[in-house]
Amino acid sequence: MSAIQKEDGLYHSFCGLTCVGWLYQKIKDSFFLILGTHTCAHLLQNALGVMIFARPRFGVALLEENDLSKPQPELEALIDEIRADHKPSVIFLLSSCTPEVMKVEFDGLARHLSRPDLPVLFVPASGLDYTFSQAEDSVLQALLPFCPPASPDDRRVVFLGSVNDAIADDFALEAARLGIPVAGFLPATHFHELPPIGPGTVLAPLQPYLSKVATRLARDRGATLLNSLFPFGPDGTRAFWEDLARLFGLNVDLREREAQAWSRLATHTELLRGKRVFFTADTLMELPLARFLKAAGCEIVECSSPYIHKKFHARELAALEGVPVFEQPNFDRQLRTIAATQPDLVISTLGTTNPLIGQGVVAKWSTEFAFMPIHGWAGAGTLVGMFTKALRRHAKLDPLDDPVWSAGLMPGAIPLVSNRS
Amino acid sequence: MRLALWMYEGTAHHGVGRIANSMQKVHAVFHAPQGDDYVNPIFTMLERTPAFPQMTTSVVSGRDLAQGTIRLPETLRQVEAKLHPDLIIVCASCSTILLQEDLEVVAANAHTQAEVLVYDANPYRMAEVLSADGLFTQLTKRYARPQPLTARPSVNIIGPASLGFHVRTDLICLRRIMQTLGVQVNVIAPLGASLADMARLPAAWLNIAPYRELGRKAAVYLEEQFGTPALYDAPIGVQPTLAWLRRLVEMLNDVGARVDGPAVDLPPLTAFSLDGMSAPSGVPWFARTADMDSFSSKNAFVFGDATHTVGIVKFLHDELGMDIAGAGTYLAHEAGWVAEQLVGYLPPTADQESPTADRTAHGQPSSVGGLLVTDRFQDVAARIAELQPSLVCGTQMERHSCRKLDIPCIVIAPPTHIENHLLGYRPMLGFDGADVIADEVYTTTTLGLEKHLIDLFGDAGLEYEENGGQEIGQDTPALDTPPSQENAVASGALPHPLTPKAQTPTWTPDAQAMLKKVPFFVRGRVQRNVEKYATEQGVSDITVDVLQAAKEALGG
Ligand code: SF4
Repeated sequence: MSAIQKEDGLYHSFCGLTCVGWLYQKIKDSFFLILGTHTCAHLLQNALGVMIFARPRFGVALLEENDLSKPQPELEALIDEIRADHKPSVIFLLSSCTPEVMKVEFDGLARHLSRPDLPVLFVPASGLDYTFSQAEDSVLQALLPFCPPASPDDRRVVFLGSVNDAIADDFALEAARLGIPVAGFLPATHFHELPPIGPGTVLAPLQPYLSKVATRLARDRGATLLNSLFPFGPDGTRAFWEDLARLFGLNVDLREREAQAWSRLATHTELLRGKRVFFTADTLMELPLARFLKAAGCEIVECSSPYIHKKFHARELAALEGVPVFEQPNFDRQLRTIAATQPDLVISTLGTTNPLIGQGVVAKWSTEFAFMPIHGWAGAGTLVGMFTKALRRHAKLDPLDDPVWSAGLMPGAIPLVSNRS
Repeated sequence: MRLALWMYEGTAHHGVGRIANSMQKVHAVFHAPQGDDYVNPIFTMLERTPAFPQMTTSVVSGRDLAQGTIRLPETLRQVEAKLHPDLIIVCASCSTILLQEDLEVVAANAHTQAEVLVYDANPYRMAEVLSADGLFTQLTKRYARPQPLTARPSVNIIGPASLGFHVRTDLICLRRIMQTLGVQVNVIAPLGASLADMARLPAAWLNIAPYRELGRKAAVYLEEQFGTPALYDAPIGVQPTLAWLRRLVEMLNDVGARVDGPAVDLPPLTAFSLDGMSAPSGVPWFARTADMDSFSSKNAFVFGDATHTVGIVKFLHDELGMDIAGAGTYLAHEAGWVAEQLVGYLPPTADQESPTADRTAHGQPSSVGGLLVTDRFQDVAARIAELQPSLVCGTQMERHSCRKLDIPCIVIAPPTHIENHLLGYRPMLGFDGADVIADEVYTTTTLGLEKHLIDLFGDAGLEYEENGGQEIGQDTPALDTPPSQENAVASGALPHPLTPKAQTPTWTPDAQAMLKKVPFFVRGRVQRNVEKYATEQGVSDITVDVLQAAKEALGG
């Protein structure tokens, strides 16, 4: 297993609130209420650009100056408004930094606001403790009391993590093809469709950022946690299904399937072979993505991730043997490493990608991977294409070798240093 | 407490970032949780800066709070070692400000070479605009030094800043004007200014501070402290630009007379045109062409910040001959000024009785002299739905609301959006700006012969697709986020229309068939007008006869 180096966490990313952007669309009868400030509202509208849809099923209960001195925020009227406007089946109440600092007692608040027909569930998500996709883990934990118990002889799989409906269908079909019985998905598309979970359940995580809910389910309900690769790329997908089948006493051999999948990606992998790739830290999807690229023939110069869970990510870490792996990286140090190692492709955050390109690096948004259907056999083409797109496009354009073109608007702009001429 | 969905203004720390990122060797450090770093991509994605924005989040985590660790000094040292800025501006965030730490003391512990300024921006009392303006004023006071005036007539251009609304092209326009006049530009600030440039501010003969939102207070200070006269108007529109030019020349020559410097002459107006031989703007003639008669029956609603709201209302009314259906601003602290500027422009409204600016922080729209003052976009959308103007000039949010209301809309005010950072020359100021705005109005509204043809034949012969070609569903997110199916889902899930929930009359099949003959892009409006007419008449079924009567009553 790769040794993990830990730094001081001065890197660029978003906070846990970001997960609202995809979860409110996944859980169709939900409402996400953030108890937060102008900052949180401004974050959501800028990071996701979705607030421009005038009545999304989420919003910020705005703490203003006069609310700061109140012992407990009064949310009843807002809940009534949301109930009348959106008729949700469940409201997720997300924490943010200010009420955390104010020591708002969220558990009690959520309980107090809950009604039998409209539960209000507390979701810790504040930027003080949660980054990007991590708060999905909190949302799923909040849902656990509503997953009915399952008897020990109910031996079925529950897929863990939000994926869009098309991918969910793929996974259900593939499971049926292999003879693996499916209990459902957590989260489900509707609040009342949550799968039963018990000692017979096998949990198959689809997303790499759900370590807490997975370990909690194993502990509290005695469910078995699949310990495999995450189903990204032909290699990950094959390991995922073979290992999952084994937990159901099925011996499946997907070697052939994997080979076919790779051969379909051949034009891409030819381009990727030998390319040196660097992952800064952002979505917590970095480990499996880097592992896939390694299998595709890339050299991973560095793989950094906000948080790494040694046990939950054990197989990915094993597959990344020899790769420098960082947790909570320092972005300035990363910039120096990038300058020294000159990678062919850097996968970086929304805010840092353009400036990296400005420094003569080919860079690609990491955020995009959190929004694209890249899971399983069907997603492999999309996945690999996301890496090669940036490489191909930059190869088509002339090198930008006169700094005048990137002098840009901002006077502080550091002139471009071309590493290609 | 209220539910916030969309904010016109950014936060206080965003205002600080905008100033720091405008200047040379100035860096902002936010003492804030990691998520507050979200402001960073607004710069790199909208302005597409090829450099890292001049701001760093000194991360505060839950664990730091529990352990009493404060990383700020270490961050300051890292920033200094890497960037060697002349000045570091430190500010707290909405959450860390509650910790009541003494950031002065903490920052002093870093022992940096660079000057460190702890800016006290209380995010609960100020948002982006007041924060940015306050900081810039503070920097002006701190760095401006007494000194002799430049030998030649000169101006400072005060107010353009990073992420400002079309400021880059406004600046091009202002520089061209100065070049034509032979007036030297002493300093532009904050955009591009170093601390040494800030020190040189008092060397200019005159300050140009066209934006109410940023730079005016600094110019006032320079006037009081150093006697530098200032031109505070925004030259939006042709006549205001002319008046502005004359005033500029006059003020410079006043200074010239005092210091015995060279005089400035206003050259023939053709000198201000891009080709050097035609009228500096096409608007005066354009507005008088026969084609534009239909403008006289068109009315507009204008909503935005202070500068652009005032400038655009006057331009549409005075230079294009349009009626003003109403106007408003989200800047409560500027409401009084906007209302005063627009006296005589706004139609009287029922709620005109409250003459003073109320704070709108608690979500109640207020009205100042007929002006809508609110920071809730829903209030603005409701007002537009009620007024049904033929044109809306607003922010990106109004553009969005207007799509649902089927009303043409152009964007004339911040917050900026990726589409306000296009590559071409699109100023809002000066003669060139007048041309740009007039073109935008013209291409956005249906006008002239085209209008008559539509009125006469409905959509016969006009090959419009009912659903294709429209912009609905192609909403560009504020930061063009990666395309995703998720977004497609979101745009499909359009919110409810904003019309009031009155008992709507029903349409008989015949009348409905007739309504279908109205071109789709005005059909919604016709439908609403007829329904309103029917309701007023107490008719519950809209028949062909009612529709005809309505058309007659409403003038077709
Ligand atoms: S980091 Fe905290 S204050 Fe900032 S947007 Fe996220 S939850 Fe809100």
